[in-house]
Amino acid sequence: MEIVVCLKQIVDPEIPASEFRLDPVTKRQIRGSHALVISTYDENALEVALQLKEKQGGKVTAVTIGEEQATEALRKALAMGADSAVLISDPPLLEADDLGKARVLARAIRKLTTPDLILCGCESADWVSRIVGPFLAEELGLPCVTFGTRIEPRDGKIVVRRIVEDGYHLVEAALPAVVTIASDETNTPRLPKVRDIMAAVKKPITLLRMADLGIEPGSLKEMEGRIVLQDVAIPVREARCEFIEGDTPEEQAERLVLRLKELKVI
Amino acid sequence: MGIDWPRGIAVLVLTGVATAIFLREMARIYRFLRLGQGSLRVDRVGKRLLDLIVYVLGHVKVLAWTYSGVLHLFIFWGFLVLLTTILQQYGEAFVPGWSLPWIGNSPVLAGLQDLFILLVLVGVGMALYLRAVVRPPRFRSSNPLDAYLILGLITGIMVGLAGSRATAIALSKEAPPGWLAGAFLSRALAVWFKGFSPSMLHLVHELFWWLHLLIILFFLTWIPEGKHLHLITIFPNIFLRKLTPRGALRPLDLEKAESLGVGKVEQFHWKDLLDTFACMECGRCTAVCPANATGKELDPRRLHTAIRHHLVEVGERVIAARESGQAIDRPSLIGDVFSEDFLWQCVTCAACIQECPAFNEHIDKIVDMRRYLVMEESRAPDTILEALRSLEARGHPFKGALASRTDWAKGMGIKEVARDGPAEWLFWVGCAAAFDERAQKVAQAMARILQIAGVDFAILGGEERCTGDPARRMGHEYLFQMLAQENIATLERYGITRILTICPHCYNTLKNEYPQFGGNFQVVHHSQFLAALLREGRLQLRQPLNLSLTFHDPCYLGRHNGEYEAPRQVLRALGGNRVVEMERCRERAFCCGAGGGLFWAEERVGKRINHERAEHALETGAEVVGTACPYCLVMFEDAVKAKEAPFRPRDIAELLADAL
Ligand code: SF4
Ligand code: SF4
Repeated sequence: MEIVVCLKQIVDPEIPASEFRLDPVTKRQIRGSHALVISTYDENALEVALQLKEKQGGKVTAVTIGEEQATEALRKALAMGADSAVLISDPPLLEADDLGKARVLARAIRKLTTPDLILCGCESADWVSRIVGPFLAEELGLPCVTFGTRIEPRDGKIVVRRIVEDGYHLVEAALPAVVTIASDETNTPRLPKVRDIMAAVKKPITLLRMADLGIEPGSLKEMEGRIVLQDVAIPVREARCEFIEGDTPEEQAERLVLRLKELKVI
Repeated sequence: MGIDWPRGIAVLVLTGVATAIFLREMARIYRFLRLGQGSLRVDRVGKRLLDLIVYVLGHVKVLAWTYSGVLHLFIFWGFLVLLTTILQQYGEAFVPGWSLPWIGNSPVLAGLQDLFILLVLVGVGMALYLRAVVRPPRFRSSNPLDAYLILGLITGIMVGLAGSRATAIALSKEAPPGWLAGAFLSRALAVWFKGFSPSMLHLVHELFWWLHLLIILFFLTWIPEGKHLHLITIFPNIFLRKLTPRGALRPLDLEKAESLGVGKVEQFHWKDLLDTFACMECGRCTAVCPANATGKELDPRRLHTAIRHHLVEVGERVIAARESGQAIDRPSLIGDVFSEDFLWQCVTCAACIQECPAFNEHIDKIVDMRRYLVMEESRAPDTILEALRSLEARGHPFKGALASRTDWAKGMGIKEVARDGPAEWLFWVGCAAAFDERAQKVAQAMARILQIAGVDFAILGGEERCTGDPARRMGHEYLFQMLAQENIATLERYGITRILTICPHCYNTLKNEYPQFGGNFQVVHHSQFLAALLREGRLQLRQPLNLSLTFHDPCYLGRHNGEYEAPRQVLRALGGNRVVEMERCRERAFCCGAGGGLFWAEERVGKRINHERAEHALETGAEVVGTACPYCLVMFEDAVKAKEAPFRPRDIAELLADAL
């Protein structure tokens, strides 16, 4: 089975909230010296792909759009067991919106291989737009299952276990297909084996520029959606403390209830 | 005096057979040892020879456990002294009435021999009493038959010897032998044989004489079969023991190693294999092991006996397979011989190593097997894997930490090397004190003290990475080496030479393990630094703290690095002299449960180690448990919460800061 996994490198989502900074001009997170990691669910997607490969044989290709540093994320994917890796990198791409990125990914995938399965994380751990996967499916004209956690191949098709609020659905899909992956206990990303880490350093990473995908510098804008990002802000959390006075516990309780009613909490 | 050829030849033939059996077995064991990895390089020969005198002849470590130490001393020295009687016997075999040249007729020697016959018997009696009546739990997993057999054989040898000496005295009518004067025991026993007819006496003498010899020869053939092999192996094992710092794990050459860690018995270092043959199954290690004491599967004695049995079981086939290149079917080392749980229960506290009279190294073996699990198989308990992933991604093991590395220092006016240049001392904070809310207070207290004392110091801040201690002890040598190299590069870039740290794990790794990778720094633990500041009068105490205190020795400060006094000096300076010791303190301290990377593990089996330790502290009735390690502190805080214990855990720096 030929599987493509789309990854994104992001700033460690585990940094403390106090360390989170936004650039007011680009409206993006400032990377600073924070660690860069593969976005959480993308790692789960990679794990699902690797497990399928172990069961079925085949090849796993990791693809990402990003800066040069994103090779680190691809190396990690190679260390975990991906067979090849592709970095799509060109400065204008960093500004592209979700639709634009999905279209670029689609072109790259078409150019590279004819996959049976394309996996993405169900959402990125930085912007959480949850949309690149479905856009990608649309662009490639493929069926799409979102929020899958496990994939069983069955008679040339796949059965995806898809989490919903109160349980799960089992969804059958024809191949090729796009599945976006959520986490569960079966797809916790593996720790790469040390030999694979060392071997991954020597594996080549294919670099694609926009020109390689036939995208003119000016035409990227046309590929994008009509969404304009107006503003981003870090929510301000306020906590206030109020003491409820009262001579006896009963009195205090009574006043507390009154105050809570006043605040429309109860 | 004529020569008794038939008897002489019979003795020689029997000895030849016994020696052949003995040597065949020893050669087999030697070939098994040769399966192990690593080469043999001997340095510091003088020190090593001295060790043989101190620890083998002097029994210094054996005597650390008084009862079993004394009984062993009797038997061991008995054997040395009574070797003379064996030589004597070989002479007698050919020449009746022969005695050792020069000393053979000395009443002093005869007296010593008799004395030790008695002492060996006393020793055997004590051993029997210990095994059969006292039955300490440490003998639970040892083979009792082997022990009783050997005690029986020793008794037999002594009876044979005493009997043959007594009958020899009774037989000698005229011209009593010169040694008679000293042989108080044999002379007394000879009285019993007074009434025997000469021929009867002769027969009895012969019986004792042969009994003595035959048991000795049987003993010789039996030595390689069980724990009594330590009679032989203890010499090379102590001579070749690790002389590098106890806290430094053996480095692994990741590029060259055939296997990253040990998944098969022949992948152990040869010295680790020798350890298992030197193990006398005394069980002292198991008796002091905190994991074992809290009902877990880990048993440091079984670590040794099981490797040995497994090696003896599969050794021949492994050797054959090496030659033929074929794979063999055998029980798996990890899985069949040791469960993964067994390996993940060790807190690397070195209590076992401290007690082992054979100087065996338990931790290296366990970590070697963890290395295999983690690096070759990517297998470890989930929470351990998560800590490793965090170490890899962000250079610290606290995933989801709410603080940044420098949050604790905000508003304190502390220099950062990158911003303000290096200072006289680098204050190495460590991950626990940077990210754990409780432990941050220790870093703050220490910084305050340094500021009050006017010490010029700076922190690395965001450039500090985990030293790699947890990664290394979890078996991820690769990750450890990456972190170590990164830190060494940072420290060298700033030309840092002097490091002060509040974490014994950082202390141990920086001081003892970084030199393995070319990082040589002067490293001081804050207990030592504070003790020095107090000694030099650089800190004025406002008022002594009127508290009753006890002190918990962190394993990586105490047993791994031998520092027991400095933290106590600080506490004594604080609280008058009201430091009450726990029963298990100093070299015998009981781990808090956090070492070996297990701070990040879920302790699911048995009682929690920190709860057990909190009970020890409770017994002292102290109001405050002083520690000198952020991990110990957090473990104690957890135990106090869970058990609602009425004492407060504090770091010595916090206590000192309170008194300033
Ligand atoms: S190091 Fe500590 S926990 Fe590990 S085996 Fe030895 S005594 Fe037990
Ligand atoms: S390893 Fe050492 S302490 Fe443990 S049983 Fe063997 S000899 Fe005794």
